[in-house]
Amino acid sequence: MNLSELLLELFLMPLIAFLVGLTMVLWMRRIGARIQRRVGPPFLQPLYDVVKLFGKETQISHGILHDVGIIMAMGGYIAAEMLLPVPGMDGVAAYGGIITLTYLMMVPSLGLALGVGQCANPNGSIGISRALTAMLAYDVPFVIVIFGVAYHAGSANLIEIIDLQQQAGMAGWGVVEMPLLAIAGLITLQGSLGKQPFEIYVAPAEIATGPMVEMGGKYLGGLFVMQSFQFYTAAVLYVSLFLGGGESWFELLLKSFLVVTLPLSVAYLFPRYRTEDLVRLLWKWPVMIGLLGVAFVV
Amino acid sequence: MSLDGFTPWLQSLSDRIEGMVVTRTDLQQRRTRIDLPADHLTLLLEAAKGELGFVHLSAISCVDWIEEGAFELVYHLWSYEQNQLLSIHIRIPRDPGRYQSVVDLYRPAGFFERDIHEMFGLYFEGALDMDKFILTEWNGPPPMRKDFDSEAFVEETFGWQAYNPPWLQALTSAGGGVVTPPSEQRFSQRGEVARAPWSGSPRQPFQDDGEKG
Amino acid sequence: MARVFDELTRFCQARSLFILHYCTGCGAIELPPVMTSRFDMERLGVSPMVTPRQADVLLVTGYVSIKTLKRVMLTYEQMGSPRYVIGICSCTVNGGMYWQSYATAKKLDEYLPVDLYIAGCMPRPEAVISGIRTLMQRIESGEADSWKEYYHNYDYYLGNQQKLFGPQWQTPVDVIGEAEQYGLLGPATRGTHTELLEQIQVPLQPLEMRL
Repeated sequence: MNLSELLLELFLMPLIAFLVGLTMVLWMRRIGARIQRRVGPPFLQPLYDVVKLFGKETQISHGILHDVGIIMAMGGYIAAEMLLPVPGMDGVAAYGGIITLTYLMMVPSLGLALGVGQCANPNGSIGISRALTAMLAYDVPFVIVIFGVAYHAGSANLIEIIDLQQQAGMAGWGVVEMPLLAIAGLITLQGSLGKQPFEIYVAPAEIATGPMVEMGGKYLGGLFVMQSFQFYTAAVLYVSLFLGGGESWFELLLKSFLVVTLPLSVAYLFPRYRTEDLVRLLWKWPVMIGLLGVAFVV
Repeated sequence: MSLDGFTPWLQSLSDRIEGMVVTRTDLQQRRTRIDLPADHLTLLLEAAKGELGFVHLSAISCVDWIEEGAFELVYHLWSYEQNQLLSIHIRIPRDPGRYQSVVDLYRPAGFFERDIHEMFGLYFEGALDMDKFILTEWNGPPPMRKDFDSEAFVEETFGWQAYNPPWLQALTSAGGGVVTPPSEQRFSQRGEVARAPWSGSPRQPFQDDGEKG
Repeated sequence: MARVFDELTRFCQARSLFILHYCTGCGAIELPPVMTSRFDMERLGVSPMVTPRQADVLLVTGYVSIKTLKRVMLTYEQMGSPRYVIGICSCTVNGGMYWQSYATAKKLDEYLPVDLYIAGCMPRPEAVISGIRTLMQRIESGEADSWKEYYHNYDYYLGNQQKLFGPQWQTPVDVIGEAEQYGLLGPATRGTHTELLEQIQVPLQPLEMRL
């Protein structure tokens, strides 16, 4: 494909990711509301939130690293969207595989750590150290799951993995051929989204939302955008690895909303684990199930 | 000692300490009031704590008798063994306003004495810490004394909302809406209209003079 | 064109209010019913946020003692504009039940600009929601500009604060600097009280907490 098509795809993929991600954030709030027996926010609520936050007129910046941190947080995910193939647009997914995608998904947390470090608020420092510990915890089963899938498919390229599953029909889906890895992946998904019971790094009443304590106005708007990207990336990645991608947009969206519904429904019923319990849990169960799954695959 | 042992102990205590007046104030015989001169307090506290297990100091209260020129300090002691409450009342002259601290006998007394020092201006000698902790932004006289007029202070320091805006004036002139300015409030101590509903004149104890005001 | 953008921003600001979950006085007990299932406020777009940097609305619920008022001022100045203040309960209106007390502030309007008062002792959750909806209407129509008043009349507010807290009163926030940066200086921003502040301003030490 020529350059202009590529540029158009690279522009559209994050944009679509943002819009779908906003809808997923709304979906999360609606599910939480229905579980708590109340009506949730109206349909365009996340958009109102983002527009309002970016419309704040005064903000307090703690320095250049504070701003850079937010840019890194958003930029890491925007780069990740360009590597995530969706029906009709492949972006640069042919050049970078799952490994690059995983690497890019770690950049936002590190960027946020830089930004929070400059804020010099003790609540923020505690929160971000917990967030990085949690990232260490869920990355181990994440890597095991990805290794298993890549070994089974014979390549680390997402496009080939999706093609393999779609050609074999529904019997060739990852969740049918590698059920143990799919289960481990689901638990890891809950950890990487940062939902209860793995929500220690936010902890709103305990450490005043941890890393977001000094972020207001445009910074918080950037973090909201990052959250919508995070939902989208995690869901579409899981669908691509285990549920056969999507041959059309409708199928992809249906599957990713289903995938997101599962951890969210569980999340609102749980309190949160402490950091060491979280690490112990994520290093025990998903890792054991994942290793067992890899043993079946290899 | 059981409940039966309490009354003989009180009797023996009256023999040992002079000037003590004992009143049993309730039907279940669980509260006892003791009035005694201020010098003998430590003796009584040591006796109560050591002999009959009054180890719990519930509170130290202070009353300002401005007409008599005295502060009344009340020490509330509770005994777990006896299930008895002992209220010890002493009077100290208002003028120097100093008294000794009982913090070496009862550690929580430090807290109550700090509170009384802030609110009434009484100084307790031998106390560990007399710093402010409640009224940290306060620079005026001790506010719980009866000669401190809270309402006058309020009138002077704080402003009031415009309580008669045009829309309310229109309502009042048309016969509706009632507005009471602060000095005519029912419990104000300043205005002439200040009347408590159950008796005739303000700031008087209840007098049964046959006619309900 | 800029006006359309402003209208859109105000529309979104009205529909997504972040209240600061800072329970000042006894009126705060009416906030949990407003937030939970029965009188759900999330359907109006209102969510609780925990730090002043993230919040738009400061709910002063209940009486403000002088101690609390100091902390409320520190909190208010840390919030990002546009910010709104709702005074809930009668104690913020005219002293309420504690009008004779030497330790509570009577008229909240003297110390920081207030957008809306909700009277009651305590107002029921329905009254609180009705008040929030009134605030939303005012934001949408552009009347809720009291945060600008703080910058325009900073001298008046600072004077009242100094009367209560003493002449050594200062906050970490440089209000005049912010007003200059964002073009909100007015003729009444500087005055005798700000001169006094400039004389005594020293770099702040961390607060010493003792019990």
